[in-house]
Amino acid sequence: MRPENYEAQRQPPSNEFELNFGPNHPGIEGNYALKVKLHGDVVLEAQADGGYLHRGFEKLMEQRLWIQNIALVPRICVPDPSPMELCYSMAVEQLCGLHVPQRANWIRVMQLELSRIAAHLFTFGGHAATTGMYSTMYWGVADRDLVLDLFEEFTGGRVYSIYNIPGGVRRELPSGFLQRVSETLDYIESRLPDYDNLFFKNQVFVKRAKDVGVMTQEQALAWGVTGPNLRATGLAFDVRRDDPYLIYDQLEFEIPTEESGDAWARTLVRRHELMESIRIVRQVVEALPDIHGPIRAPIPNPLAWNVPAGETYTRVESSKGELCYYVVSDGGPKPYRVHVRGPSSMHAVQVLEKLSVGSRIEDIAQTMFSLDACPPEVDR
Amino acid sequence: MSKQITHWLDDLLAEIEGIVVRRKSSRRVRVDVPADALPALLELLQGRAGYIHLSAISCVDWIKEDEFELVYHVWSYESHSLVSAHIRIAREPGVYLSVYDLYQPAAFFERDIHEMYGIHFEGSPNMEKFILTEWDGPPPMRKEFDSEAYINEHLSWQEYNPEWLQELVAEGGGVIIPPEEQRFSQKKK
Repeated sequence: MRPENYEAQRQPPSNEFELNFGPNHPGIEGNYALKVKLHGDVVLEAQADGGYLHRGFEKLMEQRLWIQNIALVPRICVPDPSPMELCYSMAVEQLCGLHVPQRANWIRVMQLELSRIAAHLFTFGGHAATTGMYSTMYWGVADRDLVLDLFEEFTGGRVYSIYNIPGGVRRELPSGFLQRVSETLDYIESRLPDYDNLFFKNQVFVKRAKDVGVMTQEQALAWGVTGPNLRATGLAFDVRRDDPYLIYDQLEFEIPTEESGDAWARTLVRRHELMESIRIVRQVVEALPDIHGPIRAPIPNPLAWNVPAGETYTRVESSKGELCYYVVSDGGPKPYRVHVRGPSSMHAVQVLEKLSVGSRIEDIAQTMFSLDACPPEVDR
Repeated sequence: MSKQITHWLDDLLAEIEGIVVRRKSSRRVRVDVPADALPALLELLQGRAGYIHLSAISCVDWIKEDEFELVYHVWSYESHSLVSAHIRIAREPGVYLSVYDLYQPAAFFERDIHEMYGIHFEGSPNMEKFILTEWDGPPPMRKEFDSEAYINEHLSWQEYNPEWLQELVAEGGGVIIPPEEQRFSQKKK
């Protein structure tokens, strides 16, 4: 079968070789790549390679009106878009000194927590698939769809809701909607024991995830890790509680932590967070009927809206960690500068590179999915 | 919490020259410093006041003043407050010091700013391209870079008029907005 001119190339005797892990690979999350140097199965060196999803959002936002950007921002993170809308809207509100009505704040919390539930279910699905447990993947995606149905009903969009605008939210809730939210939450909660049995307590998963991609709390703090990945090392830090926004200081919820800092701990933290999010949405569902009033503050004509000059830095706890927007206005109809600090820009680049070294090739996917890396946030 | 902030604010004012501190809210402080005093300020914040988390480094291109503004956002897990340290550097030659020795996350942000604005950070571990690997034009986030003009110069526009659309139009359907009726985008003056 060899061509006639074939000659075996002589290589220096070495067991080292390089491998492009991605950008098109089932073990990689999104369009992203890792260039790894291997010795046998063991990773000697890893280099993250991004840019496959770069769409130039920050430049685009400088060329569009303040209100037009609402349609752009959710696209920066596909699995968890709602915090993006909120973080941008909060920045514009702070620059304009807009006072958001109380009812809008409660609805926003419901949207954010539903988005977190959907994002975590999606992550469980993807993570389970890396260990070959495709049933959990189908379950995760199917149960997430129920949350997307709710989004479709109250925002009009399944994935990108484009529902938060500076000043409040766009529409009032449909009649009977809170009842349907309760039913969906009850259903998802009733499914969790099944998830535990099939995935979280499954030895196939536990043995693959324990002691993989371990990071200590000191390392996590030095590397700028936030969100569930930081909480998996034992530090109970959550922007919702420690730098509160909206009405999170009026809600009751726990901040789950784990101590071991490995892939298993990170996934378990998310599993507990899912339950806390359900608890928060239930509090909102209970309180919302008694909170009356408008759902957004009056804003100027959005097509001729000059936001006062100034700068602000807003922070939100997204499902992946600390999400921040630095927004600068020069008093014009368009933002002068918008800087998006996606939580994954830390753990999808430097942290992933460091944790991959020394692990085996089959554990790279395990590490990446347990970190919940979101490449579009890195590329922007 | 506010007592803690006041405590180190006094220290800062005494130790660094030319510093301007403004309290924006109970958890946000804005600090303006001369560029050469920033490393000392960050060292002080990290070592003495517990600001161990570098949340982000933002860059703003003030083209009219011929300056870049760099903003270092640092967070303290102890006092639960965020300090934004603002410095200005000259646009040309656009060189500044890396703070990687103090904050490891700086490597990503400095690499990103180098790629998007062309600022070189001395001492940063990696200034290679990350996102724009195949890009050989000017740093695209600079204000003088006009993306629409670049496209018009380097690429050609194509008419999009596929058969299915022609059929739709012949039937009287389809959505076609003539240029004079377009509201904001692409409108020629």
